[in-house]
Amino acid sequence: MNLTRYCLTRFATLVVFGSLLISTTYAEEDTAALWEFGPEEATPLHPVGGIHRDVPGPRPPMFPDFPVNNTAVNFDGQGSRFVFDDSGDGSPFDFQNGDEITLEAWVNIRELNDGDHTYIIGKGRTGRSGFSSDNQNWALRVRGMQGEARVSFLFATLPRKPKDQHWHRYTSIQGFRPRTGWHHIAVVYRFGEPETIQTWIDGNRVRGQWDIGGPTTATPATDNDQIWIGSALGGSPSNSFRGGLDSVAIHRVMLDKDTLEKRFHRVGGHPQEAALTSQMPKLGPLSPLETSVTFHENMPSHTRWLYTDESLPPAAASWSGSAFLLNQIPVKFDSWGIRDSWKAPVLVRMAADVSLPPGNHTVLMRSRGLARTWIDGELVAQSKPLTGAPHGEEPITPISAPPAPGHRPTWHRCQEVMGYIEITDSKPVRVVLDAIAGGKSFRPEPGELTLAIRLEGSQQFTVLRPAGLSQSLLPLTDEAVEQELQQIEASFTSLNDVTRRAAAKSQDAYWNTRRQAAETWLAANPAPKVPGATPGTNPIDAFLLARLQEVASNTPQTSDAKEHHFFEKVLPILKSECFRCHGEKDKGGLSLQSRELAMAGGFSGEPAIVPGDPHASTLIARLRTDDADTRMPPTGKPLSEEKIKILDKWIADGAKWPEQQSATSTTTQAPLVSDTDFIRRAYLDTVGVIPTESEVERFLADTSPHKRTELIDRLLEDPRWADHWMGYWLDLLAENPAMINASLNSTGPFRWYLYDSLRDNKPMDRMASELLMMRGSAYDGGSAGFALAAQNDSPFAAKGHIVGNAFLGIEMQCARCHDSPYHSTTQEDLYSLAAMFARKPVTVPKSSTVPPGFFAKKERESLIEVTLKPGQKVKPVWPFAETTGAHDDDTIEPLMHNPDDSRERLATLITAPQNTRFAQVMVNRVWRRLIGAGIVEPPHDWEGNSPSHPELLQWLGKEFVASHYDMKAITRMIMNSQLYQREAVGHNRDAEPGQRLFTAPDRRRLSAEQIVDSFYLATGREMDVEPMTLDPDGRAASRSRNAYGDPHRSWMFVSISNERDRPSLTLPRAAAVVEVLTAFGWTADRQAPKTDRETAPNVLQPAVMANSTLTVSLTKAAYQSPLAELALEAESPESLLETLFLRFVNRLPDQAEKDLLLDRLQTGFAERMVPADEVVVPEAPERLPQVTWWNHVRNEANTIQQELAHRVRQGPPADPRLEQSWRLRYEDVVWSIVNLPEFVWVP
Amino acid sequence: MNPLQNTHVDRRQFLTAGATTLAGLTAMPGWAASGVPTQVRGNAEHVISIWLGGGMSQIDTFDPKKKGNPEKQKPGAYYDAIPTAVKDVTVCEHLPKLASLMDRITAVRTVNHSVIDEHAAATNWMHVGRPVSGTVVYPSLGSIVSHERGALSDSAPPYVLIGYPNNSRGPGFLGAQHSYLYLTDTGRGPTGLARHLTISQQRQTEREQLIKSIRDVQPEVTEKVLQDYAAAADLSLRLSGPSFMRSFQLESEAAELRESYGGEFGQRCLLARRLVERGVRFIEVSHNLNFLNGAGWDVHNRGILDQHKLIHELDDALSTLIQDLEQRKLLDKTLIVVSTEFGRPPQFDGGGGRGHQGSAFTCVLAGGGLNHVGAFGETNELSQSIVADPVSVPDLFATIHAALGIDYAKSLYDGDRPVPITDRGQPITKLFG
Repeated sequence: MNLTRYCLTRFATLVVFGSLLISTTYAEEDTAALWEFGPEEATPLHPVGGIHRDVPGPRPPMFPDFPVNNTAVNFDGQGSRFVFDDSGDGSPFDFQNGDEITLEAWVNIRELNDGDHTYIIGKGRTGRSGFSSDNQNWALRVRGMQGEARVSFLFATLPRKPKDQHWHRYTSIQGFRPRTGWHHIAVVYRFGEPETIQTWIDGNRVRGQWDIGGPTTATPATDNDQIWIGSALGGSPSNSFRGGLDSVAIHRVMLDKDTLEKRFHRVGGHPQEAALTSQMPKLGPLSPLETSVTFHENMPSHTRWLYTDESLPPAAASWSGSAFLLNQIPVKFDSWGIRDSWKAPVLVRMAADVSLPPGNHTVLMRSRGLARTWIDGELVAQSKPLTGAPHGEEPITPISAPPAPGHRPTWHRCQEVMGYIEITDSKPVRVVLDAIAGGKSFRPEPGELTLAIRLEGSQQFTVLRPAGLSQSLLPLTDEAVEQELQQIEASFTSLNDVTRRAAAKSQDAYWNTRRQAAETWLAANPAPKVPGATPGTNPIDAFLLARLQEVASNTPQTSDAKEHHFFEKVLPILKSECFRCHGEKDKGGLSLQSRELAMAGGFSGEPAIVPGDPHASTLIARLRTDDADTRMPPTGKPLSEEKIKILDKWIADGAKWPEQQSATSTTTQAPLVSDTDFIRRAYLDTVGVIPTESEVERFLADTSPHKRTELIDRLLEDPRWADHWMGYWLDLLAENPAMINASLNSTGPFRWYLYDSLRDNKPMDRMASELLMMRGSAYDGGSAGFALAAQNDSPFAAKGHIVGNAFLGIEMQCARCHDSPYHSTTQEDLYSLAAMFARKPVTVPKSSTVPPGFFAKKERESLIEVTLKPGQKVKPVWPFAETTGAHDDDTIEPLMHNPDDSRERLATLITAPQNTRFAQVMVNRVWRRLIGAGIVEPPHDWEGNSPSHPELLQWLGKEFVASHYDMKAITRMIMNSQLYQREAVGHNRDAEPGQRLFTAPDRRRLSAEQIVDSFYLATGREMDVEPMTLDPDGRAASRSRNAYGDPHRSWMFVSISNERDRPSLTLPRAAAVVEVLTAFGWTADRQAPKTDRETAPNVLQPAVMANSTLTVSLTKAAYQSPLAELALEAESPESLLETLFLRFVNRLPDQAEKDLLLDRLQTGFAERMVPADEVVVPEAPERLPQVTWWNHVRNEANTIQQELAHRVRQGPPADPRLEQSWRLRYEDVVWSIVNLPEFVWVP
Repeated sequence: MNPLQNTHVDRRQFLTAGATTLAGLTAMPGWAASGVPTQVRGNAEHVISIWLGGGMSQIDTFDPKKKGNPEKQKPGAYYDAIPTAVKDVTVCEHLPKLASLMDRITAVRTVNHSVIDEHAAATNWMHVGRPVSGTVVYPSLGSIVSHERGALSDSAPPYVLIGYPNNSRGPGFLGAQHSYLYLTDTGRGPTGLARHLTISQQRQTEREQLIKSIRDVQPEVTEKVLQDYAAAADLSLRLSGPSFMRSFQLESEAAELRESYGGEFGQRCLLARRLVERGVRFIEVSHNLNFLNGAGWDVHNRGILDQHKLIHELDDALSTLIQDLEQRKLLDKTLIVVSTEFGRPPQFDGGGGRGHQGSAFTCVLAGGGLNHVGAFGETNELSQSIVADPVSVPDLFATIHAALGIDYAKSLYDGDRPVPITDRGQPITKLFG
């Protein structure tokens, strides 16, 4: 405290303030308190948050009234404050009508946004419990307005009526600029006499006005709440003072004019606003071949540059390019290599030495937000900060003209600034471009940062390149820039890969211990022996063959028709309709697992089956009755009469129940497929698209005896493996990010976590563990996005359901609200998992139960039981030790980083080798995808569904552990089996496990993604759709409006559901693709986990293949499209037709097909090319303004998107080099090939 | 008709009778007395569901109250009220045509739910009749009706959507066969089925012939999945044929009638009538074309300035639809439902428009053979809370099911799992019998 200046002279309150009221050279009458924040002071002030003491205060020579070592205190905002307790009723801080008050302070404002009301000092309105929320006794504040700090006084009065306006605020209408050093402010008032109010700044009285509540004579609010310096409202950031304070005082008198005028004594002129950095940064030597780019996060503001006393945060990432062009920043990863968020705003600094010839040149800078460019130390261009927009109401931004004809125009709301530079000698000059990407409420995207130059005498702009690359001109045209952007994209992909993999290495040591533990476990728990293995036989085939031989040896020589009938017709009905309650379970005391048990009946004592007498068999009676009380099965549709008749006849025939199950399925193995079928199948199963014409030709020409194995190896190395698996995982894990608001069980975009993991072929135990650990950023692609479930009142129960389904083959859909009727899982099991995720007990929400009325209405004993009450707390306990083999005991802890973390415990229990269920569920899923039917069916629900080949399943599970949970290793094993390579004529999926012999794989249809992606590939076109966002200009944080990138594979789409039904919120180009995807069973609205999409053919599937806009556009010989080029270059109609067949169906046409199609191409073939001088090149349509979330409520936004939709329906322009009637016939031929059913079926 | 449905009442009565004898053994006290109520049921065959996306302001349309003043922030209606054909029932001044038809209409003024902050969630609620669940994807009303009643004809789909596709309108666990065909352009057939606009009729015919002959020379398939796909392809050719596609030739209607229906929204209603005639069971017509005021019915801020244009458009189209159906003796067979995701409060926002309100809002029923009463349910003086006869969303759905003769107490099945067709909704009995 500064001991020499003004202080308090008298009063009863001296006792209270003894510690801070010190003698002084001059003093005011009636001073209630004064804080001077000196170095030695021991005040009763209690500091909270970021307060820095002993910083320089106002000092001579500028402020000669202060001591040379005067100190002050600095607040960094965010709620930091001093707290001072009121002494109770009648304290010197209580003011009644007629009482005078002066509040004054020295302030050095560092940061003040327009609209902020930051507290210097106030009593009440602290937000503490026990105090009314409208108890502002009094407060001195500064208000940000029009870039100025204004002095403001606020107090509440006692409301006379409940709805009375009882807040009163007086604010000066003049102010001073923040960051212009120390200022003195004061408010003077006599309560109850509103005309007495005065506001003072720097010794001058300034006018003001009552801007809330008006003048009042009402009694001010008074209570015993605390006095806070620097903040209010519980520490609300926008009410927190940022900057320095000194000599804060409260007087119980209205200080007079003379006193206040003398308070402020400053020597010298009005100080300039504290300087923002303006010098070109010194960066040291730079490579002549690179544009060096560094990224600095956590900048203080997106609206300004650093002040000279602030330092640039260190570079969090760097990259080097070959031009002053950049449209993205690197992905941020956490210490495990999982996607994280940048702390925006991010400064992007691009720099290079550039060769420019002497002359007066024009500089063009493009940036989304605040940016500036120096050339050789001279500031040549500056742009403005990014601003937000009202939802939907922003006027449509007109499209901008290109800077010169043929040039690339700036994109929507990208600023274009021109500057000038005179170059006098030919030495390279240093060029630095600083740009701010994003902000606290904006996604950190730079837009298309560009720096180009037009040399004196030229009409053309070229993008600047470093001196060493200046020979390679980069004109500012769409073509050149887009090509460069593609290279940038590729370069960032590899940068991100490198960064991610380096970070992930930090966990390798941990995973090595897991690997060792797995090996120890495997040694103690060896896999079953491969039966009769001869060298060279794929073990899978050996297991299958052993089973076939077993079946064959059990088959009687003479086939017993009745026996066949039992296994083929009767038993499947019993199994599918009865066994879930009357198999291993014996509901009502009845089991139907054997003839004897069926004849014994249940608790009723009535036999379920009386051999020879269906009428006496209660089984038949209960199946046939209309009585809802007694009908079986109790839920679902009644059995068809056809099925009942089968059972009826079987009982009438004596209910024969053969002991041994003999083979009823064919035991004949299907032949191997041809090479043409094999290559198509293998491509689809690894990279998710069909092979190209040349890949097919090369494979067919290959004479190596190992060519299939070699192809499999090659394909498994292809990075498109990740694309192929994405759709499957998105469905299974119910990834469901929202384009507009979080809603309908939406999650974060954890697609990127999955994609990165698949690209890195992360071992499955690790991929699952890290998913379950929910790390990184929830909205920017970390596995944390998996944790979200919008509008779900128990998100972790939802995750428990998904995880059980995906990784454990345990179906807990029913357990959300009650114990499962047909399973052994209970509601408690599910909530125990939820609690493990939550790392604390979880409460069953009210919505997750069965209303009591449900039971009251039922006449029969309910199938379901509610064992948990809403509101009950469930502890984190692992419920599945018996089912999975993983016990929560001390064998688990050595596998964990932190044994106290129940979430990690859950992840470990699921992925540890002891959990044999996990490994088997995963291999069964891979098997199912490749063979069309699982060893266990269905893959997500194993209870009561036995494996068809138990030993094979065990063996595969252990192989998987031994391979370090490598999905590719298992895929390689299966694809190399004879089974995989047989013709797909199997019927395994619907067969009973005992009948599922896998003599052939099942027939599979291409997934929606495979169809669309293959369609693009075959036509040689690239997916050209809108980016997946309604906020392409990045003016919201990712948690409120996100961007999911430019799709180039079908899995990358997100839901374009348009619940608002507004044309302005459509994405017409994406919609054309989504239409086809949807018809084939894809959806991005994934509210619940899904292993199987619907596969039943429906009328829309062939319809969209025939008539959709996507088909019509892709099959068109569009201008400069590959199909047009093929037609132009074709040597003969025959070769053209062969090419088309090879591209679309990977085989040559047969004679009958040639007979039908060839003459269409032959007619006019020779004349198909339009003479060059008659070719009219199609004009690009006029650009349309960009519609975004921010302007979508404008009428024009609707018409723009409708026009766009119309253009999409019209498709691309035809290639004018092809004669029209021939071109139409050619397109018809292409169209008919893609409409062959085989295009959508895996061979 | 599902033959089971005829026996339904008998079976229920039988159960009730049986229950009295069993009551002594198993039932809860009072069970026999409360019994299972006899279901009300109507005879409607079709639904035209008009969707006012954005949230129709009930206080500015079918539940008028004293006027407010947006400039003075005084809560209340935006427009004056006018009398209607039903005594004591008034509507806003921009609904004059419907006012004269209110005896064929019931404005259900006390619909309510608890979502107000999110359009997608409320839209979902009003389409599937309940809040989101993490474990079940519920079917939309259209899909349920399609599932329960099927199409009336082999050459017509059961469920057609005139508007943008979205998940809330989808089939949920009932499966793709109960999904909609959709179109956004009344001049053409459903997307996918209809001939593409850049392919001439002649070329389409040639293409179809070509594909048929090529399919003929393909090796015969014996696997059922492949045969099913081929059958679907045949059906798709049939549906895209002239018989069904004729429905979309609105130009064959009298010019006067077309004009009376009004703009694009009216033409959608006209198309809905033609689809009813063709045998489509459930047609959803989306009204939110946005062109009149930008925001559609979501009248925040300036969006409210042109709200009356939307109301006029609704008045023209809906009144013409009711009269057109009546003239063709289809009104009693066709239930018209006007619904929306929520209503709007009587207060004005800072820009003079209105926010969202779920506590009380209006959906409208017309035709369908119901005993219409003009208005049902009562709200307070500002249409902000319910005073009498609340109608939950399940109640509204049960009313629609009942009007179509669908058992509104039954369960649907998601695999094994029974899901009540509504969340225990009870129909508005006053409209039946």
